[in-house]
Amino acid sequence: MEVLRKYASELLEKKAVAAVIGYVRVSDKRTRPAIITNPEDTSSLVFDNYCLNNLSVYLTKARIKALCRTSDKPMKLAITAKPCDVHSIVALIQENQIHRDDIHIISFNCGGVVKDFGLEFSKETLASKCIHCESQKPVYFDKLFGEEKKIPAAEDKQLQKINEIDSMSTEERFEFFKKEFDKCIKCYACRAVCPLCYCQRCITDKTIPCWIESSSHQRGNFSWNIVRAFHLSARCTGCGECERACPMDIPLGLINRTMAIEAKKSFSFVSGRSLEIPTLVGSFDVKDSDELFM
Amino acid sequence: MNNIYKPHLAVIKEVIEESFDTKTFRLKFKDDKTHNLFTFKPGQFAEYSAFGDGESTFCISSSPTRKDFIECSFKVYGKVTQSLNRLNKGDTIGIRGPYGNSFPLDDLKGKNILFIAGGIGIAPVRCTIEYVLDNRDQYKNIIIIYGARSTGDLIYKDEVKEWIDRKDVKTIITVDPGGESPSWKGEVGFVPTVLEKTAPASENTAAILCGPPVMIKFTIPVLTGLGFKDDDIYTTLENRMKCGLGKCGRCNIGNVYVCKDGPVFTYAQIKCLPQEY
Amino acid sequence: MTEKIILKDDFLKICSDLLSKGDTLLAPGQAEYIRIKDISEIILNTSALPPKTSFKSYAFPRSEPLLYYKRGKNDVQIIDINVEGKNIVVIGAKPCDAESLSIMNHLFTWDYEDEFFTARAKHFIVIGLMCSNFDEYCFCTSVGTSPVSEKGSDLFLIPLDENTFAIRIVTEKGNEFLKPYTEFLKDGNEQNSAMITKKVKFPEIAFDKDEVYEWLGNNFESPKWENIGNVCLSCAQCAFACPVCHCFDIVDEDYSYSEGRRMKNWDGCQFGHFTLHASGHNPRDLQSKRYRQRINHKFRYYVDRFGKILCTGCGRCSRGCPVSINIKEIVSNCKD
Repeated sequence: MEVLRKYASELLEKKAVAAVIGYVRVSDKRTRPAIITNPEDTSSLVFDNYCLNNLSVYLTKARIKALCRTSDKPMKLAITAKPCDVHSIVALIQENQIHRDDIHIISFNCGGVVKDFGLEFSKETLASKCIHCESQKPVYFDKLFGEEKKIPAAEDKQLQKINEIDSMSTEERFEFFKKEFDKCIKCYACRAVCPLCYCQRCITDKTIPCWIESSSHQRGNFSWNIVRAFHLSARCTGCGECERACPMDIPLGLINRTMAIEAKKSFSFVSGRSLEIPTLVGSFDVKDSDELFM
Repeated sequence: MNNIYKPHLAVIKEVIEESFDTKTFRLKFKDDKTHNLFTFKPGQFAEYSAFGDGESTFCISSSPTRKDFIECSFKVYGKVTQSLNRLNKGDTIGIRGPYGNSFPLDDLKGKNILFIAGGIGIAPVRCTIEYVLDNRDQYKNIIIIYGARSTGDLIYKDEVKEWIDRKDVKTIITVDPGGESPSWKGEVGFVPTVLEKTAPASENTAAILCGPPVMIKFTIPVLTGLGFKDDDIYTTLENRMKCGLGKCGRCNIGNVYVCKDGPVFTYAQIKCLPQEY
Repeated sequence: MTEKIILKDDFLKICSDLLSKGDTLLAPGQAEYIRIKDISEIILNTSALPPKTSFKSYAFPRSEPLLYYKRGKNDVQIIDINVEGKNIVVIGAKPCDAESLSIMNHLFTWDYEDEFFTARAKHFIVIGLMCSNFDEYCFCTSVGTSPVSEKGSDLFLIPLDENTFAIRIVTEKGNEFLKPYTEFLKDGNEQNSAMITKKVKFPEIAFDKDEVYEWLGNNFESPKWENIGNVCLSCAQCAFACPVCHCFDIVDEDYSYSEGRRMKNWDGCQFGHFTLHASGHNPRDLQSKRYRQRINHKFRYYVDRFGKILCTGCGRCSRGCPVSINIKEIVSNCKD
């Protein structure tokens, strides 16, 4: 922890970065994102199993980008990112939302995080993304901290549920999601925390014509959640933030992971893993399998 | 149950194409009783519905002294005004209102009145001008300054002509520099500049000011320079509204509900509000 | 106020009688106030934290139609709506939720009466239950209420032991409600229940609401707002989970070429488009301004207008905030 604080403080002092986006502790089992511009404030930076937020969501915010232009020469942004958060950063770079050169990635060897604040870290409370995590080491970084750790092995209940839903009839599946989407209150917390929901003007805010009704009845809730699933197909890096943020506990991870599994199966593509491989939605190959649509 | 959100139905009796993007609807309530009972004061607004696209807020631009119809004018901007724009004579719209406060024309009796309007801000001012002209003997000198971006943006051409022709009113029409046509005979210049040149006396005078925020911003210092007191400058605030009833919380500026406590405010009142308009 | 004593089993008998009469029964569950189908679902647990959402949606639904319309060639027909309030009995309402409807009532009845709200709200019977637990987000004591406050409840339950409750009759409505069930009631002694309530641990008072009110009036341009605005991600979880947030939107939606309805939907002041004008001008264009509005509305403007703080101290907004913004901490920081 001390090395992280010292490093961040040096970056700010040297004016190598305009701000450090990091985690600060708010209580025993809870952290909060913080945008730190003053070297003295780095003393509260932490990194542990309770750093749940995917901070890359801040990289595309105009108010954060503006911090880089406060002095004569444009400065970088430093971000503390778990290896899985780095995938989101990769996806953002590939979609031309940020530049690799503008970002200073401080990453960690990760040992997993809890699924929600306030829980004791154990294999039972492990976030579902960590259960099937294949990247405890970041794919890109400018500075790496921490020893290599082991994530406790746990049952992949999410995958079991996906398989269960897969084996349902269309009607049963519709009923399942109908029940889940009925809970939606359209607070758009899922959109707010998603690093890839960076649209300046979301489709839900467009009124001429109105694509997605703001009412939270069945039609409005289905159109929102399905459009979101479409927009994130083969883009979602599986950070699981939407599911965590949802106040109504809608299992959005099931949808996103199903789409990711499909992208991997059909196109051998996993989003945010490499800057070299072009994105699936951004590249077209006549040899692409079209089984998915047939 | 008394549904406060239920509009009255009104038929479009006439559509007046004021400019390339502004229209006036002349409206009559379907129900004669409603039509006769509907009373309002200059400056008040209403919620107009284009069924299928929602409601939009604008002032009632005709004067309550002319009772056989009510009029509203709107510039085509968003979803509802686009939808209203597609309607024709004979079509039906909904009206809820009148809402909000009004220009205190009773208190201004015996005073000079200076009207300043810019762009679509002429709509509430027109209503007030007509009211004052219909009670001409109760007010002293009247000066009207009306500015638009270009000659093509000027609206209420017939009404404006009537004002110009009247001997008991001084009317100055101006367009922004570059907005004049070859045959333009009015002034050329921004409203604050024209106001400065006109230099109306501030003694016993109230200024009624409506227009885009940028115009208001530069006109108020000129008025103050001419000696107008903050209490004598009246303007309207146009925050986004949905209900018009002080419920939906959208038009809040500080502890003020613009739809209930406004839309008419004196400059002295506005100075006390947080800058969120 | 009178106090009676009732056995838990007898209380549940009342509940099952209400169910058989067709009344709606609500009781706190994990995520929300659940609609009781069987009395076995009624737990009456004083140590549970408030559910993630309050019961305000039963008086002020997330989405509700205001009217239906039919469009002809150039004619329109409006089909009005009549909201018939049905009895809704909230069993074991948290003290921080109990007052929510009466706080919102000020807004929905001033000048014009919004009968969509009042028709439902006046049919509520709120049976509060003493609360014996709090966490780092609770601050009911700071906004003038407490875990044993009867404010907003018609009847208030205090567990005397595992099987008996003291039931305080707070309002005339509560008294009327109990009339058919006097056989279950025994005379109580206020001192007994006071012994219990005295032992309840209260969350520490985090801020002085009057000082906060003063500070907000003088610090509209404080740099503190910017710090919060940088972190806040502009969702409406806080507003939608809040038991007293009441802002809404009115939209039309067609469901066929000629028919549709006008809806009243919850809206949140943290959304950027909440105040956006059609012209593109936005009076609250930055998140910091929107957050400032939220705090000011709750702790200053509503007080100015209706003499009440628009907050019950339940802490839901903080508990559910995706970026862990804690309103208690922020309001406690509203000082120099």
